Amino acid sequence: MSYENEMRDRIGRGENTGERLDIPLLRYMWDSSPLSFLKKESYHDFFKKISVLNSFTDNEIRLFTGFLHRREFMANEMIFKQGDSGYGFYFIFSGSVNIFSSPAPSEELGDFVIKLEKHQYFGEMGLLEEFNRRSATVTAAENTVLLGIFKPDLDRMLQVYPVLGAKFLRETALIMANRMGQITREIVALKKRIKELEQRV
Amino acid sequence: MRRIQTTKLVLFVLMLVAAVVFAFYFPRLTLPFGFAYIIYLMSRPFTLRLTTGSRKQRLVYFAFMTIALILLFLPLFATFYNIDTDFMKLSAQLPEAQRMMQEKFMELNEKFHGRFGFHLKIDPVRYVMNKIRFQGDLLLSRFPDYLTALFEWMLLVPLFLYFFFMESKNFGVRFLRAIPNSIFEKTYVLFTQFNIKFGEYIVAKFIEATILGTLVTIGMLAVGFPYPFILGFIAGTTNILPYIGPVIGFVPALLVAILSKDPNVTVWEIVVIFGVANLIDMILIFPLLVSRIVNLHPIVVVMSIVVGSQLGGIVWMIFIIPFVAFFKLLFKEVYKDLSVHL
Repeated sequence: MSYENEMRDRIGRGENTGERLDIPLLRYMWDSSPLSFLKKESYHDFFKKISVLNSFTDNEIRLFTGFLHRREFMANEMIFKQGDSGYGFYFIFSGSVNIFSSPAPSEELGDFVIKLEKHQYFGEMGLLEEFNRRSATVTAAENTVLLGIFKPDLDRMLQVYPVLGAKFLRETALIMANRMGQITREIVALKKRIKELEQRV
Repeated sequence: MRRIQTTKLVLFVLMLVAAVVFAFYFPRLTLPFGFAYIIYLMSRPFTLRLTTGSRKQRLVYFAFMTIALILLFLPLFATFYNIDTDFMKLSAQLPEAQRMMQEKFMELNEKFHGRFGFHLKIDPVRYVMNKIRFQGDLLLSRFPDYLTALFEWMLLVPLFLYFFFMESKNFGVRFLRAIPNSIFEKTYVLFTQFNIKFGEYIVAKFIEATILGTLVTIGMLAVGFPYPFILGFIAGTTNILPYIGPVIGFVPALLVAILSKDPNVTVWEIVVIFGVANLIDMILIFPLLVSRIVNLHPIVVVMSIVVGSQLGGIVWMIFIIPFVAFFKLLFKEVYKDLSVHL
């Protein structure tokens, strides 16, 4: 029996439903409804589009969003610097960010590494390592909104919702594994290129 | 861009300074606020577990508030209710106590004369008695003020506690939004760590004091020492202060042992009871409960207590330890960052 039918039956029998109206939950469901006329993207829709979190159920996404911090950055504002202590993992909710391989980034000097767009993420090492140092500098390429999760949030999540916490850790490990795979492929390609150049010389 | 970031940072620092100044100038408001915050931090691990996924949040909060308030205010109220009769009793016993102390001092002075050939020309008993009378009179004259403060706290502490239980999440989100981006990560992590450490420290000290007080009481009951409950309570409460507390807690029991006319009550009994209880505390309870929370050098702890007593008396003597632990953490973080960037 569906939840709605069960409630209807209980109300019909004059029984006390024992449930209070949960306004934040209703608002969340309203915002994330596919029929919602709201043009702006809800957190729920946003996380549904992130491939590594596709094992999360709707309810898990709802619980997960409760642990996130919304941070707004202006264009060119520094998000973190290479060498800083790292504690958080960010999802790009809107806008884009530039990644540089130097603490004092300069595009002319060739420090620019990559530009990350909406629905991408960065900083996952900061969440997992005990004493993490940021390996790159990240700045906002335009006005950007990030959703960040930090070490204390992960600890709280593991304490309060252990299954959700374990699932999120598994997904984060998957992100790291993907990055490692990418790096390995790049190293192999670079080695091949160096060999070619050596042979040519 | 840099100007906007600097302005945000300056505004945030000014906001913090204003909060500290406000707290300093309005202690009647900030003390119950801080007190409610401590109860909130102490109960948070339990309420978090009990309210997760439950719709009975309000019931859990209400139950915790009731338990906390009964535990805190009932003994205070009982003390205030009986204070005049207790004071009369104490006043009636004072001349007798003075006479006994005078006799003991004279005995001691005679021994001193036998050993060194001259009498001590001081009268510590009269000095102590005058001090006790003066403080007693002061306490009685300020009694209406204390009573007013108690009623004020009875009203404000539950109010603030309810605010912390129901609104702390929203308040926390707003506070975190005010933190500038440039210092957000570090501030958030340090703030959370401080809250956890502070709550854990208070709970650990509370448990430690209860265990030590119980051990002393059981020991006194076993040997038939007078006033086991009140002396056990004093030993437990004073034990909250690290290193200095056990010595302070030992003094009343020692005085009772010295002044007692009962031949079965000896100083050695009390020395053994306190020695064993403090040994168990030092070897077992402190390392298991407290030391893992505040990893500070004993010298730093003692210096902090002395500074705390100068800052704000007994309250700061207790609470300065987690603050010092937090500043140690803060300096370590700043030092780590400086060593990377310089």
